[in-house]
Amino acid sequence: MQEAITTSPASSPTTEEVDSVDPAIRIRDLDFLYGSNQVIHNVSLDIFPKEVMAFIGPSGCGKSTLLRCLNRMNDLVDGARIGKGSIEIHGVDLHDKSVDVIELRKRVGMVFQKSNPFPKSIYQNVAYGLQIQGVKSKRVVDQKVEESLRKAALWEEVKDRLNENAYGLSGGQQQRLCIARTLAVEPEIILMDEPCSALDPVATGRVEELILELKNEYTIVVVTHNMQQAGRISDRTAFFYLGKLIECDLTKKIFLNPSKQQTEDYISGKFG
Amino acid sequence: MSPEKEPRHPFATRLTRERVQESVMFGLLRGMTFFVLFCAAFLFWDIISKGSSKVFEGDELINWEFLTEHPQTLHVIGEGEDEIKLSSSNYYKLKDEKMLNKWGEFRQSDEHDPARRELAARFSQLQNEWALESLLVADEKFLVRERENAANKFAFWKEMLADPKTTAEDFEIKVEEVPSMVTQFMLGHFEKERGRLSLVDEKVTLFRARHYPKIENLSTAHAEEVEKAYLAFLAKIPEAYNQSVAAFGGEITNSYDEFVQTEGPKEFGRFAEALVAYSAARNVLLGPDHDLENWEDLQASLAPFKQAMAVSLPSKDYAYSGGGIFPAIIGTLLLVIGAMAIAIVLGVFCAIFLAEYGKAGKFLSMVRLAILNLAGVPSIIFGLFGFGLFVIFLDWNVSLLAGWFTLAFMVLPIVITASEEALRSIPQGFRESSLALGATKWTMIKTSVLPFAMPGILTSSILGVARAAGETAPIMFTAAYAKRSDLPWEGLEHWTDFFFQGVMALPYHIYVVSAKIPQNAYTADMQYGTAFVFLLLVVGVASLSIILRNRLRKKYRW
Repeated sequence: MQEAITTSPASSPTTEEVDSVDPAIRIRDLDFLYGSNQVIHNVSLDIFPKEVMAFIGPSGCGKSTLLRCLNRMNDLVDGARIGKGSIEIHGVDLHDKSVDVIELRKRVGMVFQKSNPFPKSIYQNVAYGLQIQGVKSKRVVDQKVEESLRKAALWEEVKDRLNENAYGLSGGQQQRLCIARTLAVEPEIILMDEPCSALDPVATGRVEELILELKNEYTIVVVTHNMQQAGRISDRTAFFYLGKLIECDLTKKIFLNPSKQQTEDYISGKFG
Repeated sequence: MSPEKEPRHPFATRLTRERVQESVMFGLLRGMTFFVLFCAAFLFWDIISKGSSKVFEGDELINWEFLTEHPQTLHVIGEGEDEIKLSSSNYYKLKDEKMLNKWGEFRQSDEHDPARRELAARFSQLQNEWALESLLVADEKFLVRERENAANKFAFWKEMLADPKTTAEDFEIKVEEVPSMVTQFMLGHFEKERGRLSLVDEKVTLFRARHYPKIENLSTAHAEEVEKAYLAFLAKIPEAYNQSVAAFGGEITNSYDEFVQTEGPKEFGRFAEALVAYSAARNVLLGPDHDLENWEDLQASLAPFKQAMAVSLPSKDYAYSGGGIFPAIIGTLLLVIGAMAIAIVLGVFCAIFLAEYGKAGKFLSMVRLAILNLAGVPSIIFGLFGFGLFVIFLDWNVSLLAGWFTLAFMVLPIVITASEEALRSIPQGFRESSLALGATKWTMIKTSVLPFAMPGILTSSILGVARAAGETAPIMFTAAYAKRSDLPWEGLEHWTDFFFQGVMALPYHIYVVSAKIPQNAYTADMQYGTAFVFLLLVVGVASLSIILRNRLRKKYRW
């Protein structure tokens, strides 16, 4: 745990580096509404390749909504729509007519707050994404399942019981299984919506370690209620309040020397 | 109880209004529940005790005849202690046995040989008659006679047409009605001819159909044309008749030869039957004034043999009280399985649309309301709906298919409502994670909603099974026959015919036996037995679905 905290800032890009790299996700002037209720106000934000970005803020501040905008999961909600502004991934506007939402979701994976493996075997859970894409070859699927489970640091624990029901796993294992399931479809960006909120501290620690490992290969956006967690795992942190982006900067700076009063109040526990 | 003994402390029991109310309500609730239980217990006890006496009747443990036979007439021989109950098939078997015995005795007796010789002599006489009277000669006479007859008829009709005024006076009708009356006469004549010339009735029918426009729109000219055509048509008849008569002759000779070889009663019966059929054709061909002496001699020589075949086995007959209910069991099974398959497919698709695709709004709530209302429609209305739509409009007749759809529509509200409920109870997380892994909506439903909702859907279908199996009203106009001798897989010309045949069904059978057949001492048994088997069947089908559901539940639990 300690090690994680010390290594994380070291590997994160400095402000100068950030400016020179093309962002993986570029959000510009985004307004988002549920019906007539505006939940995101004029948010602009860049997320860079292979960094861990944490969204923090009190409940109802729009951080989860923003996350779900990034792979258009909000399409499922009746009346959800974009007011103005755009979200681009590699320069492509996600709401362009030519964007196939299925392809988008393969590239932008998502891990949910409540671990929700399918009530099937561990193997079938990880293979699911490949099977719905029509991958038939058993060899390819087997290989991919093992690879994904290894990446999710779950292989050693489950390799002898791949055919058992996933609900026999502990909560933390289930969440890592969900991460493995996401990894199997080879995304580039992984969105995590409070992935540890239902886990005990030990399981949380393992998931956090996993996130730090994964950021070598993936761009990761984490929504979290837990400020210490944001401090431990993220390179940069964005603080939201009442649907507005208050501040976004290197995590270290946000926690040690925030530039906005609201941020400081929230960090120091004056509200929220 | 004396006042001194009453305990006096703050928690002592007192007779307050609330306490009285409490005990009255408790008694009322318990009483009503027990009353319901008592009624249900009585009903089941009645069916099970009386029904099982039918199912377990007889020497063996199970009365197999009841479960595997067709409904038949019950023949009761004798009375009181000695009475023997036999279903038709057994009764006729017994009668056959008796007949064989009598026939055997006849063959052993002294009368047999003279009778046999007499018959042989008479039959060869008849055969000689065929040889002498060449059929061609008969043809010529036949044709002359037939033509003469026809010409007379037509002359009469033409006369009527030529002088409509007199005709109208004679028959006391209006003048303009004369042609149509003659048309009726002519059609009636052809109808009669069709019966008389039974061996070529198809040809007569065809002739009538071909000239129908002229006959219908009758005038003297038309009548003449028809006459001409008919006279030409008559020339074709003898040849066709000869072929048929020759075939009959062959049949008679064959059956006679067989009879000579086996000397059995069945073969004799066939021979006698063939002679009867031949005689009808012969009379037409040879004309009424033909010499019948040989024919009558032959008939007389048959008499001793007929006498030997006649046995009597006096019995009292009760319709529908014997045999079994096998076709009804099969029919009910087929109806339930087919109806449930259709209802589940239709219902699940509807439910998927309502639960997954439909956007909440006025339209959807109207659809739901309509479905709920449908559940309250009386089943006889479904029967009439099915009769109107499937039987009449789609012209499926009384058939399995019509019954399937009618029953399916009746249980559809149950299936849709419960399936929608089952689909909605699947955690939203399964849907989201499936979509987040790049599934299309349908893939998502197919792989991570529907399989997990299946146990719930099956639970609802169990309710449907009981209802579909038990209803009489929806099938009485659409699928059920009171009696049918073929089983559904028998006598099919083409495999599609399977779907377009009516079947017997248990509930309808109970209805028919109890409401339409005159009651007697033996029908009640039949009804209770049927009800009992029906109860077992529903329990069986329902248990199957429960087992299937539990298996699925075990497989998918979260």
